[in-house]
Amino acid sequence: MGSLDQSGLRTKSDGGLRPVSDGPMAADASGSGFFATRADWLVNWGRKNSLWPMPLGLSCCGIELMAMIGPKFDLARFGAEAARFTPRQCDLLIVAGTLTWKMATAARTIYDQMPDPKWVIAMGVCSSSGGMYDSYAVVQGIDSIMPVDVYVPGCPPRPDAVIEREAPLAKLVGAGGPERDERGTGKLIFQPNHGIARGVLDKHPHDPKGKLGLGDPLPRKTEIK
Amino acid sequence: MTSNETRETSAPADSAPAAPRWAAALSGLEYKQLVGADGMATLEVAREQLHALLAALKRAGFAQCTLVSAVDHYPKAPRFALTHQLLSLEHNERIRVRCWLREGDEHAPSCADLWPGANWSERECFDMFGIRFDAHPDLRRLLLPQGYDHHPLRKEFPHAGIEPDRLYRQWDKQRRAGWNAEEGATR
Amino acid sequence: MSGAQGGPTLTRQVFEYTPGTRPELDHDDPLHGELLKLNMGPQHPATHGVLRLAVTLDGEQIVDVDPDVGFLHRGKEKSCESLGWHKFFPHTDRLDYVQPLMNNIGYALALEKLGGIEVPPRAKVVRVLLMELSRIMAHLIYIGTLGIDLGAVTIFFYSFRQREELYRIVDAYTGHRMNNTYVRIGGVYADVDDKVAAMIEKFLADFPAALDEIDAMLTRNRIWYDRNRGIGIISKEDAVAMSLTGPTLRGSGVNWDLRRAQPYSGYEEYDFDVPVGSVGDCYDRYLVRMTEMREAAKIAKQALDKLKSVKGDVLIEDRRYVLPPKDLVHSSMEELIFQFKVVTDMRLPRGEAYHGIESSKGELGFFVASDGTSKPLRCHIRAPGLMNIQALPMLAKGRLFSDMVSLIGSMDFVMGEVDR
Repeated sequence: MGSLDQSGLRTKSDGGLRPVSDGPMAADASGSGFFATRADWLVNWGRKNSLWPMPLGLSCCGIELMAMIGPKFDLARFGAEAARFTPRQCDLLIVAGTLTWKMATAARTIYDQMPDPKWVIAMGVCSSSGGMYDSYAVVQGIDSIMPVDVYVPGCPPRPDAVIEREAPLAKLVGAGGPERDERGTGKLIFQPNHGIARGVLDKHPHDPKGKLGLGDPLPRKTEIK
Repeated sequence: MTSNETRETSAPADSAPAAPRWAAALSGLEYKQLVGADGMATLEVAREQLHALLAALKRAGFAQCTLVSAVDHYPKAPRFALTHQLLSLEHNERIRVRCWLREGDEHAPSCADLWPGANWSERECFDMFGIRFDAHPDLRRLLLPQGYDHHPLRKEFPHAGIEPDRLYRQWDKQRRAGWNAEEGATR
Repeated sequence: MSGAQGGPTLTRQVFEYTPGTRPELDHDDPLHGELLKLNMGPQHPATHGVLRLAVTLDGEQIVDVDPDVGFLHRGKEKSCESLGWHKFFPHTDRLDYVQPLMNNIGYALALEKLGGIEVPPRAKVVRVLLMELSRIMAHLIYIGTLGIDLGAVTIFFYSFRQREELYRIVDAYTGHRMNNTYVRIGGVYADVDDKVAAMIEKFLADFPAALDEIDAMLTRNRIWYDRNRGIGIISKEDAVAMSLTGPTLRGSGVNWDLRRAQPYSGYEEYDFDVPVGSVGDCYDRYLVRMTEMREAAKIAKQALDKLKSVKGDVLIEDRRYVLPPKDLVHSSMEELIFQFKVVTDMRLPRGEAYHGIESSKGELGFFVASDGTSKPLRCHIRAPGLMNIQALPMLAKGRLFSDMVSLIGSMDFVMGEVDR
């Protein structure tokens, strides 16, 4: 849990894994914190404009990730140029590609090695939900093994699709971190088709029968402060 | 015995317009010669003669082993059709060698001494089907974790895997104990 | 480097040591200690995907390498048995994911061989065009990633610039940049129209100049030469025995190209050269691949010109294997039944067939076996990358650790096809 000193700054960060629940930075009803000082705002501004990605390029999405860093969809213009390949220096883990059970331990180790605060983008359907592979060797979505903030569907998603979803994440990072539920996994923050009717596929992925009380997975009005 | 390959025609060497170039090298070995659906010469041989046949084919000019694989004909018996496919670069020819293995008795001589390139193909065969290769220099799993219990390409293994599986459940439990406080979570 | 007084500095003394002058250093090299077991991967920028190399090092020298593959094993061969022949096409895209259309075509050719299906002539030309464009795409990845691994970061941007041009073309033609799944049994999904043909023509006109730029930066570059020349020499016999094919085999001097030896899809009608190396080291393989890109552009140009003269369908109308057009499905009962049957119950005749194509990495082969039912019996994918990694320990022993990166890059494997 985050702890605070008297000026209200977060001194020990919890990586945003749990909403801060004590002190003046407590989560209010909308689930997001507020800034007690301008220094905190400055820190978050710095974080959101220099999200250094840790590219975990596992398969085909890795090639689109490379194209994203390449000349046409230049990720460097968002400050994400320093795609360091060591997790110790990064704050944004982009899991691009199929995660297999053999690789799962390594991927979780990489996530654990990243210092707080950290965010995770699941790029592509393989990392979001196992994709087209319902086989014995594929992890059915990296949210089985690590909390995810943004899911980017596509096989592979176009680089501009990933950038389009990284921008709201960056904005939320600037606002203090995206909303996460009790399990640490992000709520869907970018739902493009607000007007579609709810169906069987709109149930909460972790709680299809509503027994765990995890809330509405599809907030109709996404507030990006 | 080869009831599965009804599209393969039996082509005895003497009735063909010209006996294949490699037929002379295989004298003294017992094999059945067929022609596959793609026109490739297919030799069926018993396990005891397999290594001798492959060595003879190598001497006849088949310098490269393209693939070593198996086909699982469950529930028919014999179950596994171990298939080697060879390529001769100087004569521009391919040939397929098939050896039937029965369930419970899945082992065959290794040809890694003839073609070092077949080493990993045989490891993969072992990994996927459980066919052991005698005298293989380093027979261990190739694609799946070393502690994995099953051989996935066998027909009775389900496509989605066997859940809960011992290794995965252990690992999964450890992970969940860390970051999930709820005991009865569905995932 | 001499000191201020003009005499040799300490550094020079160490480098100029003659054995015998200091016996305590001759007998027992104090620098030789234990062997270090270093884990390279599975997450590593230079391993081209998820490959783990358990390297045993003696200082900087490699004593042994044990490649550990399977971190991307997705169970594709098992998937084919569950899904069916048609539904496996998207899975073939993702095998060697830098050249999706090539894998599609290889799989389709194997199925057509098994079924005895004839492909219309225009479809063959379109397939050749797509295969050669895929070859250029794959070799551009090779040069980009090898460049960035060896430190020539600029090359990555140059080669990806060209890849973006190809992506634009393929996007306009197939609808997606990568993993297009545009090939069907008996042809390709739709014809190349004039707009796409014009885009391809413009690309092929500009491409040699772009390749010249990359050439100018690398081929006579001292650092590139030093890091690639003399490293990873494979002799002819070794290359053949290790089941190597493609540029790795041709770099060693063996003139073997499936497009020439066992032509498919009309390759015998095209005029192109096959580059063959002499020494068999990384530099030769680099030169082979650069030349192959030029030759691929040549073949693509010929295919594009042929499209003007060879007319006809690009997809057969055999209702046993091909989906009928949607307007007929919606209006005719018969076509609706055909559609239903193709989707749920498509059968290929009994038997086994193998077809190998010359992909950018080597001989990509599909060994398909059917027992006459709608469920495929077996689809084995013969991946050239698997054989290339197999040769890695043989090449790396005794070399310095930094050569490992050159070797991995020049063997040019993609883990999608190695692990399947």
